Amino acid sequence: MPYGWTGQLLRVNLTEGSVKTEPLNMEWARQYIGGRGLGTRYLFEEIDPRCDALSPENKVVFATGPLTGTFAPTGGRYMVLCKSPLTDGIACSNSGGYWGPELKFAGYDLVILEGRSPKPVYLWIDDAHSELRDASHVWGKNIEETEDTLRAETDPQARISGIGPAGENLSRVACVINDKSRAAGRSGVGAAMGSKNLKAIAVRGTGPVPVADPLMFSELVFDAMRDINEHPTTSKALRGLGTASTVSFSNSIGILPTNNFQAGQFEYADAISGPTIARTVLKRNKGCYSCPIGCARVTEIKGAANWSGRGEGPEYETIFAVGSDCGVGDLSTVLHANYLCNQYALDTISAGGTIAAAMELAQRGHIPPEDLAELDFELAFGSDEAVIKCLELMTYRKGKLGDLMAEGGYRLAEHYGHPELFMGSKKQDFAAYDPRGAKGMGLGYATSNRGACHLRGYSMTVEWFAPRELRLDPFTTEGKAQAQKDLQDRCATEDSAGICLFTNAVVTAARLYPMYNAATGENVSLEEWLGMGERVWNLERIFNNRAGLSRKDDTLPPRMTQEPLSGAAVDNQVVELAPMLEEYYRLRGWDEDGNPKAETLARLGIE
Amino acid sequence: MILAHPQKCVSCHLCEGACSFKHEGAFQPAKTRIWVHDFVDEAMYVPVTCFHCRDAPCLSNCPAYAITRDPVTGMVTVNDDKCIGCKMCLVACPFSVMGFHTEKDVAHNCDLCGGDPQCVKICVYDALEYAEVEPIQWMERLDRAEHPVGAG
Repeated sequence: MPYGWTGQLLRVNLTEGSVKTEPLNMEWARQYIGGRGLGTRYLFEEIDPRCDALSPENKVVFATGPLTGTFAPTGGRYMVLCKSPLTDGIACSNSGGYWGPELKFAGYDLVILEGRSPKPVYLWIDDAHSELRDASHVWGKNIEETEDTLRAETDPQARISGIGPAGENLSRVACVINDKSRAAGRSGVGAAMGSKNLKAIAVRGTGPVPVADPLMFSELVFDAMRDINEHPTTSKALRGLGTASTVSFSNSIGILPTNNFQAGQFEYADAISGPTIARTVLKRNKGCYSCPIGCARVTEIKGAANWSGRGEGPEYETIFAVGSDCGVGDLSTVLHANYLCNQYALDTISAGGTIAAAMELAQRGHIPPEDLAELDFELAFGSDEAVIKCLELMTYRKGKLGDLMAEGGYRLAEHYGHPELFMGSKKQDFAAYDPRGAKGMGLGYATSNRGACHLRGYSMTVEWFAPRELRLDPFTTEGKAQAQKDLQDRCATEDSAGICLFTNAVVTAARLYPMYNAATGENVSLEEWLGMGERVWNLERIFNNRAGLSRKDDTLPPRMTQEPLSGAAVDNQVVELAPMLEEYYRLRGWDEDGNPKAETLARLGIE
Repeated sequence: MILAHPQKCVSCHLCEGACSFKHEGAFQPAKTRIWVHDFVDEAMYVPVTCFHCRDAPCLSNCPAYAITRDPVTGMVTVNDDKCIGCKMCLVACPFSVMGFHTEKDVAHNCDLCGGDPQCVKICVYDALEYAEVEPIQWMERLDRAEHPVGAG
């Protein structure tokens, strides 16, 4: 048995109903680390990138990294990969909670799901024994009921990851949820799982995850834990206020997207900010497996007139998506929408982005009155009711607008003849940073392999959060291509290793690769380590190119490149994408159309 | 002994990882000697491990006399070579904090890592504390019973 990796994967053919164990391709594991990288390598080998993402030809991979299940800081991540139903490129959504480690303890690094089951099923992995079981009794059920039911009929300690009604109804903004509220959120991975008639994967594992050099690993981890516990970002901001700590900051500098990115400041930002949450609805904070940060919010709506509920969240991105971006400044509405998204298993960012796009289409009169007449509410910015009801419509594809919204914001806006009102890249909605006030984020959104995403190259760290003397001017294009490339490569190593990006203020690449070495027994250098991240990034890119994406898809909507944003620190700014993109391609070693050049592939060892 | 402060616990299970790593040389929560019980819907996470009870039911119920108490520190220990794997101690323990090693076929409990408990060391949330005296006094227990974590 290798160290770090378990050295085994589980291959499930849903068409045949077969489940079998096979050895992990260790050569690929060493080249692509694990998780995101290794999952991409398998997809690249096994599916045609041009296939229909909702067809049986697509495959869904659940992947853990070599650090998943260890006590490395935040070593509890897993990823869901497939061809994305939303972007038609590669999808890789990352989630925490406890499911990933449990899969490792059961003895698997990856689960590969193929084909399509003739009837709803769920997969039960009980250490070495795995089987597909009938899921007709939980089909249509929300996440909470599904988890409770499946846990009752498998093992009280089973961890469950699955889809809700949104994924079953093939909503392209559906996600996969584990442990009731941790989401592998983006790119419609829930729809891909739904198209396979697979409701959930329940897993119980009791085996070991050994590491190659226990003493060294222990020393590195305890050092990192101590520093994470002392660093203000991880121990104060994230632990104290969660990601919601960003709301007030973004609003104060003028990049909190509001009303579908028509403004960068929101009148009611204070009502939905981190401190307000901590003061009013927060019950306590929570951590995922092996997490020394504890950013999750356990909340409960109390004393609100319209809405009720309890659960985890909201994250900053959720607050923006169903809050400011829809003009909603009522905290209980944001919370209720958050809980609904968790129960339906909808990606909060894309669900909110889609609703915001619909609101602007309505605002500008692009939706015919007969379509709007189907609704029993007013589809307008600031309407609490609209947000809540739209979530239900898009989950169950109710009515014409519900059916269209389930396709995601881009397809909705395109249907009504105004795709430019969709705020995103590669058909995936932007996250909560207006790139006109952080140009590097603009380049990051445009070049992200999984469609617009804040996490792939989180240049907010160097554009706004870094100490002033280390900062890159957020309003210029200078240095942004290099910064994005570096951050993207680094993020690929972190995702692939199985840890959370939130550690990266402390766990730099220079601290992560020794942990990887100590865990796996490999002996890579820092340079080789970052090269592995670059390799992952390029393989994703080639997958996308083969799927039909190219330079034409590395874009931003005209609002970002032509309509200036002003307010607070942002003065009359647009994103000058073209020069950044040109420099970025050059640094990446890609040709003018965005294809990696032969020498780049040779350098990275991609055949 | 290990004193837990459930109100500070965030359910990261780092203590289980650290415990199994120390005792088994690998990360394996199934063989841990400290457990975090998650009451997800109640937002309550409770780490529990051996209390080294003053009147220990595991010790007095062991038919093989395999469980002994250190006369100086008061620590309750399972002696591997005497344990017959009958699990009477697991049944007797009122807190269910006696573990069982399925491969060695012996019971095991918290051994305080010889005075440097790894669970306490890894817990950045200060939810675990190492105390050499019996920490939970009678009044505090009453207080906890009246004001359970997560209530209100």
